[in-house]
Amino acid sequence: MSKTIWVKHFRNSKLNEPIAIVGSPGLRSIGKLTIDYLVKKLQAKLIAELYSTYFPLIFHTKPSYASHPRLLGDAGVSIRKSELAFPRIQFHSSTFPDLLLINGYHANFNGQYAVAEKVLDLFEEYNVKKMIVLAGHGGKGNEICCAATNLKLIQELKEKYGLEVEYQGSFYGFSGLVFGLAKLRSIESICLFGKTESTSGEAESPDENAVSVILKYLSRILKIDL
Amino acid sequence: MNVKIILKQKMKFKDPYLICGLPGIGHVGKVTIDYLIKDLNAVLFGEVYSHFFPSYVLINKDGLVELMKNELYFWKDKKFKHDLILFTGNTQAVSPEGQFIIAEEVLNTLLTFGVKKLYSIAAYVGDKPVEVPRVYGAATDPILIEEMKTYGVLQMGNGNIGGTNGLIIGLAKTKELNGMCLLGETRGYQTPSGHTVVDIKAARAVLNVLTQMLGIQVDMAPIESRVDQTSEFITKLEEAESLMLKQIQNTTPKNFSRYIS
Repeated sequence: MSKTIWVKHFRNSKLNEPIAIVGSPGLRSIGKLTIDYLVKKLQAKLIAELYSTYFPLIFHTKPSYASHPRLLGDAGVSIRKSELAFPRIQFHSSTFPDLLLINGYHANFNGQYAVAEKVLDLFEEYNVKKMIVLAGHGGKGNEICCAATNLKLIQELKEKYGLEVEYQGSFYGFSGLVFGLAKLRSIESICLFGKTESTSGEAESPDENAVSVILKYLSRILKIDL
Repeated sequence: MNVKIILKQKMKFKDPYLICGLPGIGHVGKVTIDYLIKDLNAVLFGEVYSHFFPSYVLINKDGLVELMKNELYFWKDKKFKHDLILFTGNTQAVSPEGQFIIAEEVLNTLLTFGVKKLYSIAAYVGDKPVEVPRVYGAATDPILIEEMKTYGVLQMGNGNIGGTNGLIIGLAKTKELNGMCLLGETRGYQTPSGHTVVDIKAARAVLNVLTQMLGIQVDMAPIESRVDQTSEFITKLEEAESLMLKQIQNTTPKNFSRYIS
């Protein structure tokens, strides 16, 4: 297999400068669960899937987003409703407002940057100018806090939504890299971190409360009823 | 993008010296370069991004996201014969392959600016508590080794210099660029969670030597105050280590025989 990352398009996007909303199975799966909820609630349509030889089915690192150059994982397929499925990143579209919803997946060490770059290439195809990243943090402070690619956005989040900058430190995995690399491509991006606590041994176990808090703020930011 | 070097402006340098110090043991190299950048008001002119860097980003105190990166700064002063190019960053490549590729690409780029000499800064890890850190050195040719000695640098006879700070001096030699590696003596402590304990004392020792070699004036007052703060912490770590060793010795039977394989 010569290609390492490839995309299957299911339908043409009719979106006009959509806002990309990104989540992945990171800390307490907050980002992934929020995207799952949005896809269902907004009846978003699957428009594309991204596959990669860098996607392990079985991760040798725990949590999955803590990649390691010598622990690359094992490939494989899952069975979903009796059908075979590769690990993948899904792109759904929704209108009013135009949104591109991305349910991410963590590549192994060899492909994390390359996969994030490919997702950003697709953003350029879809004419994405703004992005909201959803994730969790295990620090102290309020139930939610924010980060962004520039200070103007931080100021706006503080003034309009009462959000504060509280979390400082590393942001691992797919969503973190997409967020960081978006800055290099001048895609205006914010991140909402729902406060959570990591449970012993199971960093990715779901935290529905943190998801609810994120949805509350997302609803205000996007001006839609969630 | 295996390695992406973004130069923010077109530069011309006067017989520049390259000084390299990436994060490593005791952060000796990084602290040294960061200190020079701040004191000399060096100007950022390039950024290095790579897939070989750790796959996470940082959220800083202002809430801004930052990719892992290396940076290139310059300093020019009419009074000095040589401009300085300072190479540091918030990380270094994780794998040997990445360290080779990044060091090679950065060197190749900087050689186009006519770099005349390389100073790489690293850590020399000793096995005893360090009261007054010494500075060890290795160089690409015997003349530089003799020059180092005149500044009180101890010649490193045997040993390894791991990571990019060591690799870059080896690659420099293959490209016929002369240079030396100055290593500040440190105990190389880590916190229980695996974080590097910054050794300001070791960085100060290197700065004293390096600034003399370069013939530049640097205000050492700010680093002196930081030495006091970190020395106390390192002394506590040394005491804890010494206590632990004593406890191990006391609980080990005197006639305890070990398997040797």
